[in-house]
Amino acid sequence: MKALELDGVHAGYGRTRVLRGVDLAVPEGATVALLGANGAGKTTLLRAAAGLLPVSAGTVRLAGRTAPAGADARARAGLCLVPEGRGVFPRLTVEDNVALFAGGRRRREAAFDRVAAVFPVLGQRRRQVAGTMSGGQQQMLAFSRALCTDAAVVLADELSFGLAPIVLDELFEAVAGLRRDGRSVLVVEQFVDRVLGLADWIYVLHQGTVTFVGEPAQLTDGSVFERYLGSGRQ
Amino acid sequence: MKEWMPFVVAGLTTGAVYALAATGLVVTYTTSGVFNFAHGAVGLVAAVVFYVLRVEVGVPTFVAAAVGIFGVAPVLGIAIDRLFLGRLDRAGPAAQVVVPLGLLVALQGGVTAWFGAASRPVAPVFSTGTFGVAGTRIGWDQVGVVALSSVAAGALGIFFRCSDLGLRMRAVVDDRELTVLAGIRARRVTSAAWVIGSAFAGLSAILLVPFVGLDAAILTLLVVQAFGGAVVGRLTSIPLAFAGAMAIGLGASFATRLVIGHPGLAGLPTSLPFIVLFAVLVLSPRDSFGVLGRSGDPGRRSVRIPRLSPGGTVVLLGAALVLPLFVHGGRLLVATAFLAYVLLFVSLGLLVGLSRQLSLCHAVFLALGATLLAHLVDAGLPFPLALLLGGLAVVPLGVAIALPAVRLSGLFLALATFGFGILAQSLLFGTSLGFGATGTVSLARPRILGVSFAGDRAYYFLVLAVVAAGVTAVEVVARTRLGRLLRALADSPVAVESLGVNPVASRVLVFCLTAFLGAVSGGLLATLYRSVNTTSFDFSASLLWVTVLVTAGSATIGGQIVAAALLALPAWFTASYLSEYQALAFGVAAILLAQSRNGLVGLWRRPDFRRLAAEGRVRLARSPGHDRLPPSPEMASPGVGA
Repeated sequence: MKALELDGVHAGYGRTRVLRGVDLAVPEGATVALLGANGAGKTTLLRAAAGLLPVSAGTVRLAGRTAPAGADARARAGLCLVPEGRGVFPRLTVEDNVALFAGGRRRREAAFDRVAAVFPVLGQRRRQVAGTMSGGQQQMLAFSRALCTDAAVVLADELSFGLAPIVLDELFEAVAGLRRDGRSVLVVEQFVDRVLGLADWIYVLHQGTVTFVGEPAQLTDGSVFERYLGSGRQ
Repeated sequence: MKEWMPFVVAGLTTGAVYALAATGLVVTYTTSGVFNFAHGAVGLVAAVVFYVLRVEVGVPTFVAAAVGIFGVAPVLGIAIDRLFLGRLDRAGPAAQVVVPLGLLVALQGGVTAWFGAASRPVAPVFSTGTFGVAGTRIGWDQVGVVALSSVAAGALGIFFRCSDLGLRMRAVVDDRELTVLAGIRARRVTSAAWVIGSAFAGLSAILLVPFVGLDAAILTLLVVQAFGGAVVGRLTSIPLAFAGAMAIGLGASFATRLVIGHPGLAGLPTSLPFIVLFAVLVLSPRDSFGVLGRSGDPGRRSVRIPRLSPGGTVVLLGAALVLPLFVHGGRLLVATAFLAYVLLFVSLGLLVGLSRQLSLCHAVFLALGATLLAHLVDAGLPFPLALLLGGLAVVPLGVAIALPAVRLSGLFLALATFGFGILAQSLLFGTSLGFGATGTVSLARPRILGVSFAGDRAYYFLVLAVVAAGVTAVEVVARTRLGRLLRALADSPVAVESLGVNPVASRVLVFCLTAFLGAVSGGLLATLYRSVNTTSFDFSASLLWVTVLVTAGSATIGGQIVAAALLALPAWFTASYLSEYQALAFGVAAILLAQSRNGLVGLWRRPDFRRLAAEGRVRLARSPGHDRLPPSPEMASPGVGA
């Protein structure tokens, strides 16, 4: 059973085609890492999967069924995208952010407890305005979106974006926690080594098409990096 | 101290009404990114329904008010949201202003056509009794207004703080896309905000009418005074907007007390909101007004300026020259007015079409151009010199508006010019340079170098000569460096600055030119009718002209000529129903055509406009240049990046 499937997906911005027939599957309970050079279409793929960007051809399926149109409907259908950059409401407090992620004030307390268990630092900043926190804390709050809902599929776009490596441990631990909970995860990441330890499957995207699918072990000899990602191994 | 107390009470009352209106305005603007110029007009419609139900149907006051506030206004709000805002998603900034503006013109025009322009007195809603506090008489109606306004604002605050919908509204304000990702139906949230905002507009209008009477123009304008308060709140903060509107109400009331005995300053109290509006916009630090999300890439809407073909020019000029042979009497006057309108729209098109800056105070240039011409001719100057000097004398006003125009764009320039227009109207029209105490100035048809232009036909040719010269000048400007700079500035000011060009000079120049030409056309029109008064060119004319020009097509001379024809149409057919419904029709047309490339003319010139519409639906984040480039091999090939 596939939690998320992209089948021959084409998408782009106006006449600029970015995705040219992408096939991708996230098995239930698995973590998949999506790698690729800048401009390969990784973020576009996540946006198309989340329904933020209409696909011009192909289908997106959630748990075997065609995903509903519109990002809000897809979110309600159990898909959660943690977008690139700081995916928080900067002028709202941490608890208001959590209430929005959780889908209402009624579910706020339970959701907040879950968040505080994974990111203790957020537990102490309950009433702080999100935009005034450090970048790392904001990214934790952004990722909390995945903890606040029971979304079966979590898409995370460059969690490490602009963060110091030391902050990343907590975030990647949280991604691993999702996997232990049996959730299906698709991560886009620049820090290739860190994802290799995390992922069950690796996809490499190049100029809008998938050029490599395999297990992390296949990548360790470095030849795939040479071929698909250049030598800039981090 | 004691003598001030009645003014405090009166100021708090009007301030409370402005504050309600400002609050509603901020709610809709922050959640949707579209500034509702028609906010006052929505209130007007609610107040009209209230009046009709209460007076003509005989429904109890309380019920009539409830229908207006909780029925009519919210329905209008939903209609605006559902019909227009979806279309405005990622539209250019001009369309974001023109659509609500068209709505204002249409609603006000519709109400006037249906209900008449005359003001109707409205019986008080609250008791007219008074009570004394420390020797000051306070009316129960004043207490009622302040109390109701405070309760409504307080309830709104609690709603935002303590309800899920309120939280979602704040979230939409913060980051719309993120709200959608959280599974929230952002469209519904925005609609709810328009319901609330419009209900506030209705409430403020219904509270206001017992004090000022039911009058379409006054009511639209009075609620527009809330703009001043909203701007104090940077258009985004409700508490600040509320406080700002309160302060404006108090300030205007104090000003009323201060100007007693100074008739020259009589316009000051009513124009205080606009002074605040203009001053805040002009004096605020750059970038303190964040443009809220929806605006798209205006560069994609650029129109190639077609050359006026020599053949077309000859045909047009020839037609204009032989026209007086076939047209007589009243229609000859209309034809002359049409020519002057061409100059009017050419000058307005310099801003709206060429540099894509919406100016909502054009009527000021025409009015002052007309009165200055009259005063200069009276002083003994020959007509051509007086026309020239009158036009030049208005240029400083153009500079005054260019001041904010250098720093503000899109919506905020429109707001600043709007404020400026009403300001100039109430402060300058009454002076000796303007219409003076009588409100009317008469002008005689000129005699130049011994040739009399008193006859209608002779005067037609004089106007034709002046207009032809003006149009030629503008066409030359549009094709030379200044024109290129203005088009480039409209596309990307940053790109122009990065070329080492200072944009200030060209922005100031275009406003000077537009003021000059506007003033000249005002002088020609006033001389045509031999008299001009304060209502000839008032602020609503400025708004109407912008909608007419956008309807016809603002970017090309063809569109400007069509606009002039549209404006002259009702007089040509001497049909009163045409002029009654003119505003309504142009308002609606401007809404429909705000996003077309060049109005009616643009549609006409492109028979394949369905394809255009399809293209328009997929508006891009990137510039068109990028689309045609093949993917660059260096950027995309493996080996670089990762």
